[in-house]
Amino acid sequence: MNWNLVRKTISDRWRGTAIYAGALAAYVLMLTAMFPSFQKMTGVKEMLENYPESMSRFFGVESIDITSFNNFMAMELLGLMFVIIVGAFVFSFARYMVAGELRDGTLELLLAQPIQRWKMLTSKGAVLLAGIVGIVLATVLSVFAFGAAFGIDVSHAGFLAYAPVAIALFVAIAGYSILFSTALYRPRWVVMASVGVTLGFYMMNFAATSSQSLEKLGYFTIFHYYNPLKVLDSGSVPVGDVLVLLGIGAACFAASIYFFQRKDIAS
Amino acid sequence: MDKKVIITESLTKHYGKVVGVEKLALEVFEGELFGYLGPNGAGKTTTLRLLMGMLRPDGGTATVLGLDAWKDSVAVNAEVGYLPGDAPLYESMTGEGHIRFIAGFNDHGEKEGLRLAERLGLELDRKVSGFSRGMKQKLALILALMKKPPLLLMDEPTSGLDPLVQQTVYEILNEYREDGSTVLFSSHNLPEVEKICDRVGVIREGHLAGTERIEDLRNKRLRNVEIIFSGGVPEDLGELPGVTDLERAGNRVQLKLKGEIDPLIKMVARYKVADFSVSHASLEDVFLEFYGRGKGGDGS
Repeated sequence: MNWNLVRKTISDRWRGTAIYAGALAAYVLMLTAMFPSFQKMTGVKEMLENYPESMSRFFGVESIDITSFNNFMAMELLGLMFVIIVGAFVFSFARYMVAGELRDGTLELLLAQPIQRWKMLTSKGAVLLAGIVGIVLATVLSVFAFGAAFGIDVSHAGFLAYAPVAIALFVAIAGYSILFSTALYRPRWVVMASVGVTLGFYMMNFAATSSQSLEKLGYFTIFHYYNPLKVLDSGSVPVGDVLVLLGIGAACFAASIYFFQRKDIAS
Repeated sequence: MDKKVIITESLTKHYGKVVGVEKLALEVFEGELFGYLGPNGAGKTTTLRLLMGMLRPDGGTATVLGLDAWKDSVAVNAEVGYLPGDAPLYESMTGEGHIRFIAGFNDHGEKEGLRLAERLGLELDRKVSGFSRGMKQKLALILALMKKPPLLLMDEPTSGLDPLVQQTVYEILNEYREDGSTVLFSSHNLPEVEKICDRVGVIREGHLAGTERIEDLRNKRLRNVEIIFSGGVPEDLGELPGVTDLERAGNRVQLKLKGEIDPLIKMVARYKVADFSVSHASLEDVFLEFYGRGKGGDGS
């Protein structure tokens, strides 16, 4: 790790990270404020129960039951929105790690210094990881704080068990996003590839949960190992799922280092 | 000045079908100021990037300060000050921030960086996004020079600088050379190279056309000759050995002459001459004459 580069990366990225965390906290505030009213709306509940099953699966929940806070949060936040928002943070960070600096020419300035390429990547990667952890924990703490403020019975064990699963999911997403950043020459292509792969995984998982014949397809998507409602309800960390996601992230990151060590730096 | 700090042997780099450099055999000696000349697209920047380990060679080797430029690039970078083309900088960082950041990689250089900034008249408290092109070039120069390395590799170091600052840069480079550092800089500005360099290497279309000491280049004795005849004009002037670029307008003849002047004088003496003037060709003319204009050359 190169601490000089870590300090600079933190200096460059902390504002953006704080904005994402703040936006999510505001969204949690809105949802926790809404929940008590939603709980009382039996009419809405009956309407949502009539929606097709595929719709609940698309939002990453078994059923659209808004009387349960866990189900409500899984549906309104953790199933899709949280993935989109934190995913955007990861894509934005990863695209600049290599491809963005290559485009701006500053990669040449950086690699003219006595720093190994793998150290450069791990230093920036460490800051990205810290950002992911920070945003996830800030969101969980927001749920606790605002839940208490609105008198909601929040499952602390459930949300604490959810945190490592979310972190592992975004480590996997970060892994292949960084890989695209080292392999591709344009930041725009990095974002397109990262978004495309993530969306592809999401749709594959949706297809796998919708059709029995496509069930096995689910094993090949990262979202098979991300089931927020199950974790919230059980209150225990699915260690196997976390390890698979972390393994995907680590393997992609190792591949990034391999490619970056051999990459021609020519803007 | 016998120790070689840069040695390339058959160094080759292609970009797909395009030749970056091919079978480049370049040597730079310790303590010299070496000008690396060539038109745009000739391979100057590719050579510098290969020496800095930014590009992986397709063939051959590059040795810098006794180290392999690709495999030992980190060790090479610790000893080399590098100025990339187009002065890449972080737009949201101040000048001082850049100096502290680069000094952080080398554990020294901050004081020297601040001293150079004062000498070049650069204000460091502004963000780079507010810098002019010249200011960016000054800062990029400072970042390359501040650790006082034994070797400086610079891609067009005076690009975008006004003449007064250019002069300061030449003084600084001379001071570094007097302290024992070696300097290689690329340029397509021949007068600049003529002013400060000991030797010049010329690259065209990825190939090294030749290397010469500046003194030897001047001594190639290329002359510009203008003759005004009173009467007839000799028809066979162009057949004299060494005569090139012959132009005739009435009784006025202009030509370039390589080598000995005596045969021309003896021929011209047989005719009635109104005026005869000779001047030594500029280094630029010498360069073009001996190394050709080539494809994509800009004549400098």
